[in-house]
Amino acid sequence: MLISVRQLARVYQMGEHVVRALAGVDLDIQAGEFISIVGASGSGKSTLMHLLGCLDRATSGTYELDGRPVMAMSDRELALVRNKHIGFVFQTFNLINRTSALDNVGIPLFYGRQARVREKAMASLERVGLANRYKHKPSEMSGGERQRVAIARAIVNNPTVIFADEPTGNLDTRTGEQILEIFHDLHQSGVTIVMVTHEMSVAAQARRLVHMTDGLIDADREVTTELRRELVQAGVLGATRVQNEQHLETEGTPS
Amino acid sequence: MFAFRLILASLRGLQTNLMRSLLATLGVIIGVCAVVSAMSILAGAEREIGKRFESMGADQIMIVSGSSGRGHRQARVNALTPEDADTIRDQCPLIRNTAAEFTSAAQIKYLQRNTNAAVLATTDAYKKINDYDVAFGRFISREDNRAARKVCVLGHKIANKLFGEVTPIGFRVKIKGQGFTVIGVMEKKGFLGFREVDSQVMVPLETGMKRLFGVRFVTMITAQATGQEKLEAAIQQVKRTLRGEHKIRAGTDDDFSIFTQEQAKERVADVTKIFEVVLYSIAGISLLVGGIGIMNIMLVSVTERTREIGVRIAVGARRIDIAAQFLIEAAVISMIGGVLGVVVGVAFADLLEKITRVLKTFTPPSAIVYALVMAGCVGIVSGLYPALRASRLNPVEALRYE
Ligand SMILES: Nc1ncnc2c1ncn2[C@@H]1O[C@H](COP(=O)(O)OP(=O)(O)OP(=O)(O)O)[C@@H](O)[C@H]1O
Ligand SMILES: [Mg+2]
Repeated sequence: MLISVRQLARVYQMGEHVVRALAGVDLDIQAGEFISIVGASGSGKSTLMHLLGCLDRATSGTYELDGRPVMAMSDRELALVRNKHIGFVFQTFNLINRTSALDNVGIPLFYGRQARVREKAMASLERVGLANRYKHKPSEMSGGERQRVAIARAIVNNPTVIFADEPTGNLDTRTGEQILEIFHDLHQSGVTIVMVTHEMSVAAQARRLVHMTDGLIDADREVTTELRRELVQAGVLGATRVQNEQHLETEGTPS
Repeated sequence: MFAFRLILASLRGLQTNLMRSLLATLGVIIGVCAVVSAMSILAGAEREIGKRFESMGADQIMIVSGSSGRGHRQARVNALTPEDADTIRDQCPLIRNTAAEFTSAAQIKYLQRNTNAAVLATTDAYKKINDYDVAFGRFISREDNRAARKVCVLGHKIANKLFGEVTPIGFRVKIKGQGFTVIGVMEKKGFLGFREVDSQVMVPLETGMKRLFGVRFVTMITAQATGQEKLEAAIQQVKRTLRGEHKIRAGTDDDFSIFTQEQAKERVADVTKIFEVVLYSIAGISLLVGGIGIMNIMLVSVTERTREIGVRIAVGARRIDIAAQFLIEAAVISMIGGVLGVVVGVAFADLLEKITRVLKTFTPPSAIVYALVMAGCVGIVSGLYPALRASRLNPVEALRYE
């Protein structure tokens, strides 16, 4: 098991007010999965991503990443895990605007004290099809290109898992499709992908769909042809993709 | 290697806000500029003064009229006579030789050329005591003095000014309208003590006092001790002799003052010390102000780059990496200010030298090193708090920061 979480909670103390952003989540993710997280705004999706991505510390519960207890790790160890094993992709790209695409992609290598930064960053840019734009600054690029640079940055250290928080949220449908293509390619090559999204059409492209409400997971099912069909009938999904993927298993796991 | 890359990254970070960073570093620029230019002026002055003292001779005792006592002022300010010089020479075993002198300024003229020059009336001993000889002709002799002859010896520069390439021995010049025969031209010397001797005219003491200026007292008597190690004892001898000669009662102040090269050096050193303290205080204050400026700009920079910091932490930067980045940036800003300060400071000192034409400046390499190290330290100290703040940011909140 790559990720194993039990009763994970994140509580914010706002004066006398207590916000349970995450109220005790159980979740297992295997290496190589492609999983979508959906849910209403404020349901705790981002909070969960931050905890899984070792960016934040849970208030209670347990989290094992690749068999190692994350809760017991020091700040330094967490930084190392983020650097070597985790890649982040954000809705707003979060690139550093004053430096080139190449420099942006090289940042994780820099903090990993790695050699041949240029070469590796270049290879990563090539994987997202932007090698020719390496000199350009993010401000000189379109939203889709920026997100591709961000993905290149996320994968430059060959992480085991990528956490993407609404990666297509700021992009139009067509550009979003391109980004998803890249995720599919990465998934094909064995990278585990955890993606938060608002759009069901995007979420349905994963193999597993997790639904959150009020800081809890209230549905966790495989994306089957049957589920796709339901979604098409509910009018949240176009028909083309379903037909293309008839080979998928037909069993759902409603919870 | 990592540190080097970190410095590179900091430099690149600075590029974007170059103008703002430079403004922030103004305090450091001014502080360093003040230190460097003042140190240049002080060091230059010290070097010049040192040179003068060297030419003074360590075995010389200078005797001038007037008490150095701080109490009641002496009535007889003019107390030294040519006879005092003889008495000291004859009665003090530890004094080898003495030369009395009277100095003033007068118009000196040869044909149509005329100039204002310092006139030094002295005796033959002057040459020996000061190790300063003629290049042509001869120096003032005992005979010249006794007979109050109207002869003169020209300094190297003034001879050139009046006569050009011609050797002026035997020519007649007019000093204060009176005719004098040139008997010698001095060698090139520059300074003797604080006097520029190449431009002075020398006449026999008697001639100068009686015929030219009509005075009864000399300006100074220079006494040469038999050895530097016996200087203190020699001074005591001179004091006793002069007090006897001037009939000064026990308990009353001397009507003359004595100083030596060593004492003069100490006095100048005291003054220099005061200057140094004032200088370092000014430097300290401006560097403090500079430090506050840098801290301020770094805090602004940390706030502006909150998101960037969040991203860096998210991709694996350790807290110490973030702190180091901002610390180095602060140090680099400050060092740039330091370098600019050094450049402006040296230029300023140079300009002063050119404008005043008397100030000689000299920038000691240690001043530059000192200024740059100071600037670097100011940067690091003032960057400490912003760097700490940056490294303590919560990455999740930083990433959400608008
Ligand atoms: N720093 C914080 N302090 C207090 N409450 C917080 C903080 N961060 C998040 N929350 C709360 O936690 C809850 C979950 O937030 P989270 O950002 O995880 O939601 P989300 O599912 O990602 O929503 P969205 O779809 O709008 O991004 C929200 O109610 C939010 O107000
Ligand atoms: Mg969110």
